[in-house]
Amino acid sequence: MLGEFLHILAAAAVSWILFVTVDILFKLPETGGVSGASAIARDIEAGGGALAGGTMMGNIVCSPDASAGTLLAACGVYVAGIPGGLAAAVLVYIGNRICHDPGYAGTTGAVLATFVIYGFTQIGFAATDFIAGMVIAILTIQGLSHTHASRLLARLWRVRE
Amino acid sequence: MIAIYVVAAIAVFAVIRATIERNTGRKLPYVNVMNFAVAGAVVLLLDHPLALAAAAAYFVGSTLEANAVASTYAGGERRG
Repeated sequence: MLGEFLHILAAAAVSWILFVTVDILFKLPETGGVSGASAIARDIEAGGGALAGGTMMGNIVCSPDASAGTLLAACGVYVAGIPGGLAAAVLVYIGNRICHDPGYAGTTGAVLATFVIYGFTQIGFAATDFIAGMVIAILTIQGLSHTHASRLLARLWRVRE
Repeated sequence: MIAIYVVAAIAVFAVIRATIERNTGRKLPYVNVMNFAVAGAVVLLLDHPLALAAAAAYFVGSTLEANAVASTYAGGERRG
């Protein structure tokens, strides 16, 4: 039981690094993809957060990004291995187009996550660890403190710039 | 199998945070966490290949709703 919990925490750390890296490489903090993402960013900034981090958080809310790709890839690997993860990537791609998002962060994240998660299942991890891990990872960004999360993302964005 | 309990607990936590938060712009990220948790819970509860389609359909649909709510909240105009 403790072992499974530690696996979930390790999976959360891996998922966090994966989706934040892909999202920042795809410049999600730069500009709001739709007007709603910019509105969320403004509200987070008004609450004491950083605008660039808020913009990335707004983009995560408004379209499936690499975090959604990682979650659905974990679900796909759990139900059907690598083909399931790649099927999840196709579904994320369709989701991006439905949500008026021209980017490829979600699709790229899903494909990368499929192989990363499959690799971890070969060394004793379960795909379910990554489903719970990704939910914990998104909780740390979107669900605990918008002020601190947006400042951290903005700091990482400055490194990228 | 504690993954499902972790996911369910986070979903409930996110719902409580979303309910307490008054500002719409800051409420939506909490709802986003709940959507992640529910999509994960669907697959954890239903170990079947079609569960992936169900989770993806739920997730994309709820994201599109959040997108619509946020864009309406922003005034409906496109700035991006």
